[in-house]
Amino acid sequence: MEKLYKFLKYTFIILWTVFIVAPFLWAISTSFKDFQSVNSKVTYIPWLDFEPTLEGWRVLVKSPARGGVDIVEPYFNSLFVTCTASLISIVLGTLAAYALSRFTFKAGFVRNNDITFFFISQRIMPPIVLSIPFFIFLSTIGLLDSLIGLVVVYIVLLMPIAVWIMVDFFNRVPKELDETALIDGCNPYQAFYKVVLPNSIPGLIVAGMFCIIFGWIDFFFAFILTFTEVQLLPVKVVALNSSITPWWSLSASALISVAPLIIVAFVVERYLSKGNLSGALK
Amino acid sequence: MAKIDLSNISHTYNPKDLEPTYALNPFSMTWENGKRYAILGPSGCGKTTMLNIVSGLIKPTQGRILFDNEDVTNQKTETRNISQVFQFPVIYNTMSVYDNLAFPLKCRDFEKNKIEERVQSVSETLNLSSFLNMPARKLTADQKQLISLGRGLVREDVAAVLMDEPLTVIDPDLKFRLRRNLKEINEEYKTTLVYVTHDQNEAMTFADNIIVMDQGEIVQVGLPKDLFERPKTTFVGYFIGSPAMNLFETQLHTDNSVKINDTTIKTNTNLSKLKNNNIKLGIRSEFVKVAKDESENLVEVNIQKIEDFGNFKLLTTRMGQLTIKSKINREIEIANDKVKLHFPPEKCCVYQNNKLI
Repeated sequence: MEKLYKFLKYTFIILWTVFIVAPFLWAISTSFKDFQSVNSKVTYIPWLDFEPTLEGWRVLVKSPARGGVDIVEPYFNSLFVTCTASLISIVLGTLAAYALSRFTFKAGFVRNNDITFFFISQRIMPPIVLSIPFFIFLSTIGLLDSLIGLVVVYIVLLMPIAVWIMVDFFNRVPKELDETALIDGCNPYQAFYKVVLPNSIPGLIVAGMFCIIFGWIDFFFAFILTFTEVQLLPVKVVALNSSITPWWSLSASALISVAPLIIVAFVVERYLSKGNLSGALK
Repeated sequence: MAKIDLSNISHTYNPKDLEPTYALNPFSMTWENGKRYAILGPSGCGKTTMLNIVSGLIKPTQGRILFDNEDVTNQKTETRNISQVFQFPVIYNTMSVYDNLAFPLKCRDFEKNKIEERVQSVSETLNLSSFLNMPARKLTADQKQLISLGRGLVREDVAAVLMDEPLTVIDPDLKFRLRRNLKEINEEYKTTLVYVTHDQNEAMTFADNIIVMDQGEIVQVGLPKDLFERPKTTFVGYFIGSPAMNLFETQLHTDNSVKINDTTIKTNTNLSKLKNNNIKLGIRSEFVKVAKDESENLVEVNIQKIEDFGNFKLLTTRMGQLTIKSKINREIEIANDKVKLHFPPEKCCVYQNNKLI
């Protein structure tokens, strides 16, 4: 019985791994193919089935003037916008979440839960509803088609995620921890950053991970709020497509687009496996 | 270390309501420097509220708190120099045991040498010396609770250490040792200790003075012996002691005796000024004995149950509708179903409207 269970378990794990890894292997293989190797017949293994070429990768870094598409600049734009917006969202969101978790707010019929819901409701709204206000807002303050404008918009998109996760996390940190810090002689600010915050690192990591993922993959606002000055990676990748689909460079760009998220996943995985995040993730 | 005066303190959690409900009714009390106090009472009677008021986590709705005659009512927790240990261990997970113990001193800008000296001294008292460099989160629940305690004791000049049922998570065996430890610490450092519990044995063995609370009211403050022998209310009689005090509805008979059914019981209390209304007689089961050659204060009862607890026997008897419990020496053999019990007059307490006369 035990052996059967083990057998089934490992069979499942192997099948699942193949299911997850196969598209990546396919993309890696395709990124080294040329037009002939993709369109003539199905080929799998480099050197055996087809002659590998770096053309799919070269196109991505060559300037348009030399026949390339240059995704290097959009790549760094995306990194800058995502990291900056995530960082600011985490800082502001954590402060807001701590306040919502520890203090009681009253304004008319509005209570803490209503304020928390207000934050979350920003994510419930379909993005299209926000596109026109954002467009008008950014054009009014002259930040349309700029990195700063995008950062501002992304903070609006990402902060609700940070608040949502961190409120839940702080609610699980016992109030006695703050009280003990006060008794030990901290003022409320010291209690927050010396005691509560170090205990909340798992929550911050989860919130950070979600902010980075949602910031990095956003296409909609990157598409609507930028034109020629600034481009973000998702928009540029989509723009690679033409009448003859360049599968090789699309595969290459897909691989380098997903790379930062894979790195984030590996970093966070260490915390996940420790069980440190169970509280934060629920 | 300080003398703590609570002057006319009361607290409600809903002060804006038309008829606020009081978690703590107005009271005044003084905690003398260097003594051990236990606050005893059932859950929800206001024990924790009282501690939180002293530590400054709650501001009382009314009244003043004085540490050594200095008014601290409006001072914040962090400036009061008080220590509080909660029911469940609260430790700083990200720090080592040493840093946990040193934290209150670091927050108060003590010198490094002084911090090291105090942490060493406290960790030795609490048997934590060998764990100082370990991450605090890796310790067991009772060791963690020792850390919480240590953070309180590490400050020599702390006004008082308030403990809110601190031994709940600790093994019975270790509990006993820790209580003794706390007593030693109190005797050595003369730290005022205030200990909240709902366990009477814990309170009795730990404290010089016990404060019994019920429904936001302080019902009795006194030595363990007073609480046991002369409970001021029927609640104290019922709450303290196991089994609870025997209490009977009675009628006044003469100036110093009452009647239970048809039996006359003499007491040492002057009952001449009482009205015959809601009178109760109370006597501890420890003082109810099987009669030998006594001629009065005898009650004839039917034995219902005899339980042998090893060190004593507990008789459960009936007299009509009344149940009387008696703790007797386990060597005494009871031959009959019927037996005569003796109520010593000096141990009989008379209550009117549940208050001791």
